[in-house]
Amino acid sequence: MKELTFSELGKRILQLLVSLFILLCVTFVIGRLLPTDPVGAIVGELADPAAYKAMRARLGLDLPVYQQFWIYLQGLMQGDLGQAILTGNTVASDLAQAFPATLELATLAILISTLVGVPLGLAAALFRDTLVDQIARFIALFGHSVPIFWFGIVGLVIFYAGLAWVGGPGRVDVYYEGIVPSVTGMMLIDSLIAGEVEVFWNALSHIILPACILAYAAMAYITRMTRSFTLEQLSQDYVIAARAKGVSPAGTVIGHVLPNIGVQLITVLAISYGNLLEGAVVTEVVFSWPGIGQYMTNALMIGDMNAILAATIIVGIIFMILNFLADVAYAVLDPRTREAT
Amino acid sequence: MKLFRSGVFVVAAFAAFALSATVGHAATPKDQLVIGTSLAQVLSLDPQQATEAKALEVMANLYDRLVATDANGRDKIIPQLAEKWEIDEKGITFKLRDATFASGNPVTAKDVVYSLTRLLKLDQSAAANFKRIGYTGDNIETLARAIDDKTFRIDLTNAVAADFLMYRLAMVVASVVDSVEVQKHVVNNDFGNAWLRTNSAGSGPFTLNRWTPNEIVILEANPKYVTGKPQLRRVVMRHVPESQVERLMLERGDIDIANALTASDLNAFKDKSGFVIQRVPTLGFYVLAMNASNQHLSSPLVREAIAYGIDYAGIERTILGPYGKTRTVPVPETLSEAIPSPDWKFDVEKAKALLAEAGYPNGFNLTLKTISQTPRVDMATAIQASLAQIGIKVTIQQGNGSDIIAAHRARDFDLLIPQTGAYMPNALGSMEQFSSNPDNSREANNAGNFVWRSAWDIPELTKLTDKASVETDPAKRSEIFKQMQNLFVELKPAVLPMFERFEPIVLNAKVKGYLGHPSLITRLEGVTKASE
Repeated sequence: MKELTFSELGKRILQLLVSLFILLCVTFVIGRLLPTDPVGAIVGELADPAAYKAMRARLGLDLPVYQQFWIYLQGLMQGDLGQAILTGNTVASDLAQAFPATLELATLAILISTLVGVPLGLAAALFRDTLVDQIARFIALFGHSVPIFWFGIVGLVIFYAGLAWVGGPGRVDVYYEGIVPSVTGMMLIDSLIAGEVEVFWNALSHIILPACILAYAAMAYITRMTRSFTLEQLSQDYVIAARAKGVSPAGTVIGHVLPNIGVQLITVLAISYGNLLEGAVVTEVVFSWPGIGQYMTNALMIGDMNAILAATIIVGIIFMILNFLADVAYAVLDPRTREAT
Repeated sequence: MKLFRSGVFVVAAFAAFALSATVGHAATPKDQLVIGTSLAQVLSLDPQQATEAKALEVMANLYDRLVATDANGRDKIIPQLAEKWEIDEKGITFKLRDATFASGNPVTAKDVVYSLTRLLKLDQSAAANFKRIGYTGDNIETLARAIDDKTFRIDLTNAVAADFLMYRLAMVVASVVDSVEVQKHVVNNDFGNAWLRTNSAGSGPFTLNRWTPNEIVILEANPKYVTGKPQLRRVVMRHVPESQVERLMLERGDIDIANALTASDLNAFKDKSGFVIQRVPTLGFYVLAMNASNQHLSSPLVREAIAYGIDYAGIERTILGPYGKTRTVPVPETLSEAIPSPDWKFDVEKAKALLAEAGYPNGFNLTLKTISQTPRVDMATAIQASLAQIGIKVTIQQGNGSDIIAAHRARDFDLLIPQTGAYMPNALGSMEQFSSNPDNSREANNAGNFVWRSAWDIPELTKLTDKASVETDPAKRSEIFKQMQNLFVELKPAVLPMFERFEPIVLNAKVKGYLGHPSLITRLEGVTKASE
């Protein structure tokens, strides 16, 4: 790990900050170009111009854009994300509430897609051009090309309305609302902390369908990548040697191939996880899931700039951190990259 | 063998899970009412601030007003906090009943004065209907006062008749808040607005337990409610933005009432046993706003051509269904003063002739702005198609609520599809938004006025509206209402009502006593749920 020196780390963090700043500038400008009217949303359609003007001034929207941006940055430096128009709360407290819901959903989704996608990709490579491979490829292609929205509705029709196997939209059934105190904001964990097993099962029955649907799209990508990484390894000499020594096909894959593609897989999983956190938007709308995706959608609708910017920063930071961690994983796990530096 | 065993384990675990999920999935409990709706526009639950329909529905149950309008009777005023009242020439005196707020504080005349003062001093959209008749933040404290703890008096301004003031006092904006409680939470002279946005301080049948924006509103029964604790222990409004999903939840029994369904999802319940559809008349309209400052649309002939260029019957049949009914005068047909709709119907020849007469035999181009929301988007497409037949080429621009409203306020459009509602269940309540524009100049910047936004200058009609507002003789009043409608048609309106608006809701048949209110302020204290 000696290659990842402090100066290297500092450089990476600086890069991260610069990227974030550019992201902020772009979001701010786009936000200002949108013809939305947050003032009208607050004071109402029928308010007279005096009331309208007063609210505009209160929100600081009468200042020039660069000044607004400067004020925003100053607040940001002090850790103040501003107030959300949509809720009247501080954006920080809104995000603290919405983010765990998305995190819970995306984490379960990445677990499912990894547990299914990696073995499926390995099997497809191992049994290349057989029926197994074709089925795996079909599943992957299907998941990649069908919109999540459609999957969501069909999933609800079959598993919720038809078979009654899973809970409906929302995080728990109505009569369980408000029973569990929020500790982590993640219902599955909070219910266990509170010892409410019944609520836990109910929450699980609600999260399983959106998580599976979200997982499917990611799984498709993971399967495809795993398959191609594995195929690449299977033609290598060490695999041929292992096979010649009499190691079974499954043994070869688990004992030899998997460790070798592990590093590449980590990158794929990190990217997928980032995508899931960000891409939960549609799933959240379909499943009435009160996460960051839905929060952002509503903020966009009324032009709630503080909320949009903060959500953008969060998503941006997550992406960058995941990329960063994937790079670190490379450096730590792959001796070849270590030699190169 | 090992593989087999783990396989069995997985299957067993899944079966157990599926079973437990099914068991935990009975219908909603008998003492909880669950409403599926869209909470996306709810930005505040402060009764003197919020005006959005879904927010009104919540606040109607958190607070009481002095009086209320009956969901059943067309224009009946019924007592709420006031047990009786006396109207004289100069004003109205109310006697309050012995009610208490949820906090335990008694409801006094001081609270009533505080609430109205609060409304006018906060001075937002909610205050518009009181300001229009002359009540302002400066004069309200002299016009409204507490005679004693249980007697409240409000003086009339010279711009309103007493019964029209009564309807305004029945609006959610005139809700009586607990002044003792609210004053504890005042920050920077905000009248407790920051606090009251997310908390309740009322005497209504329910209290606010929780509001998480875009997720859920939970109301708890108020044990101190004046007629006793409501039968429902909890009312839950759940944010379900997708109509199809809401439909599934209603079918499964996870929600009891759905009030944000699209026409096609609504149709699925038409003949389904176990469900009831209520079509609540709002007395409001879907409107085609034409910007009269546009060179083409300033001509009454062109506006009449457009009135003949819309396929009302087709739109009603294929797009609106339960949401609307063709009506081109802004007073619903069911009201006694209503005149028949004029002869405006889809007539290509007539419309073309009118356009030629106006000097546009080859037509022209216009844009049409609309909120991208059912049924307005489909309506826009249909209007585009029918106007094309008379030679007007329309380009549609869709946007979200706030940008389309911003364009409307700024007179930045050619055609636009807004909607109205009526705050009074009478002809003036539904017509006022179409018939009053005191100053049409751009400098007046009266963006809160519906007619001003279309730059439609109507001094005579405005005068008639003011006259109707202060007329107390029912016969004379009714005469003025008819005169107003006739003049409206004669002027070839730049704010053309096209369809009367209905709010269809679907209820599980187990819900008893729920009656949709025309102003969408349905009270829930009498609602119960039958057993299976």
